Amino acid sequence: MRFFALTLENWRNFRTVKVPLQDRMFLVGPNAAGKSNLLDSMRFLRDLADPQGGFQRAVQQRGGVSQIRSLHARQYSDVIVSAVIDDAEGQRWTYMVAFSQDNNRRPVVRAEKVYRGDRQVLERPDGKDREDPNRLSQTALEQVNSNKDFRAVAEMLAQVRYLHLVPQLVREPERSVGRSRDPYGGDFLEQLARLQKERKKTFDSRMRRIRDALRVAVPQLKDLKLERDTRGVPHLRGLYEHWRPRAGWQTEDQFSDGTLRLMGLLWALLDGSAPLLLEEPELSLHAGVVRYLPAMMARLGRKVGRQVIVSSHSAELLSDQAIGAEEVLLLIPSREGTEVEVAADNSEVVALLEGGLPMAEAVLPRTAPKNSAQLSLFSE
Amino acid sequence: MTPSVCLVVEGVTDLAILQRLLGELRVTVGPTHVTDGTAKLDRQLAGYNSASKYGPWLVVRDLDQDAACAPELLRGLLPEPAMHIRLRVAVRAVESWLLADGTAISRFLGVAKSRVPADPDVLVDPKGTIVSLARLSRRSEVKQMAPSPRSGRRVGPAYTDQIIHFAATGWRPVEAAKHSPSLSSTIRAIREWVVDGTPVCAEPE
Repeated sequence: MRFFALTLENWRNFRTVKVPLQDRMFLVGPNAAGKSNLLDSMRFLRDLADPQGGFQRAVQQRGGVSQIRSLHARQYSDVIVSAVIDDAEGQRWTYMVAFSQDNNRRPVVRAEKVYRGDRQVLERPDGKDREDPNRLSQTALEQVNSNKDFRAVAEMLAQVRYLHLVPQLVREPERSVGRSRDPYGGDFLEQLARLQKERKKTFDSRMRRIRDALRVAVPQLKDLKLERDTRGVPHLRGLYEHWRPRAGWQTEDQFSDGTLRLMGLLWALLDGSAPLLLEEPELSLHAGVVRYLPAMMARLGRKVGRQVIVSSHSAELLSDQAIGAEEVLLLIPSREGTEVEVAADNSEVVALLEGGLPMAEAVLPRTAPKNSAQLSLFSE
Repeated sequence: MTPSVCLVVEGVTDLAILQRLLGELRVTVGPTHVTDGTAKLDRQLAGYNSASKYGPWLVVRDLDQDAACAPELLRGLLPEPAMHIRLRVAVRAVESWLLADGTAISRFLGVAKSRVPADPDVLVDPKGTIVSLARLSRRSEVKQMAPSPRSGRRVGPAYTDQIIHFAATGWRPVEAAKHSPSLSSTIRAIREWVVDGTPVCAEPE
């Protein structure tokens, strides 16, 4: 499955944007332009479709409709999230939801539409909704007895993965007790342990591949395993070579931020085949590692047909000559909200690339804050 | 004296090619510098030259269209090389070294060997030749080494990882040297420079 296009109206920083999405996509823009918010719109669809989620919860988790609705929106206008999705068989689907809130600030679905190819399979509000307006507190997407004609869409969206691993949360899992599939890594080790218990062979083969890849970046790491302590809490153990003749096993609380983040990234890449949303994967990693991430994503994308959508500020990440202008989205803030432009539609960027400039030099200056030199005078 | 060679290349695909080549020649590679093109490499050449007082440096650059021949470019870029630096120029680009192993690259790309130019050093644009060959392939992972029309790039999304993979696993440098004078003279220069994997350099005075 992959996202083919995304349309947002009044979603956070965005007044109206329509973006085409390739198998590999890089989002670049200044701080607070809305890179995470663009990724979050896809997470929102995932949360709608998630069996433990649903519309009310997805909106509440984001602080309510007033937090989601763009500051640039005209009063009382609906928030709209719409995605064109291709399923594994190449069938195209379009899912659209429009929502706002009622007088009691409760989230309300204003419209919901699904198309299979060109044929519409859902149109809401329908007669039943008009009879019983309470039905509009839920999307059809989240209801097993309403999504029969487009269950594939719900199942696909529920598989979307988002990762923004925070090493500190991996080291101190008690901070996020009770969370499952925590994108910040709170239950990362639990996820590993679950797979180890349920599908040992898959787990072992993934750990082997991760260990070999990690050893490229962290050569002193000789071995890696997952074990439960006496209380049953899973721990990563890494065997590090050092000056003592007998090298020592260390647990995750002694792993570096970079080691944990790279491990989380590698794990997420191997885990599943639905779109993967990655927030600044370059964080804590050496430039010599970051350079290879786009090639790694391209290769993985081809092998398992996985779409990877990445936000980044990294010149090294964008230094790969094989990143095409159609794979880069420029997020440019304006008075009317953030605008999103495919780099391939920007003639200047294309001319710079054709003139031999690396992607980083063609696009990053466009997304740098205008007066950043003033930051040097901060202490004045 | 540093026991390994500091390596300077233009990009990560060139790095994979040089790592394979130096591995074959049993040269240990130390710190590597990736300059993302020739402009930065040329600008920093004086620095590499100066640093080579303290250890061996190998700098590999494409000739591209920057001079009529490699010696001319070398004279212009580094008229007075220090004792322990080797600046090698690939004619016209490092990709011609890959094409020079015609059997391996035709197998890798899935195209007939007769399609691969027999004399790659005369090609004006060897990278473009690899991309054109990739377009002829029936394999989708190879076809994607060619760019889409709107990308602004000379290569497609699969180019980097495919070339790295080929350089590391399929390409045979010594075989390729038989068909590329530029690669062959580079191998000769490196061999004369190293003994038992350690460059022969007199201690700096």
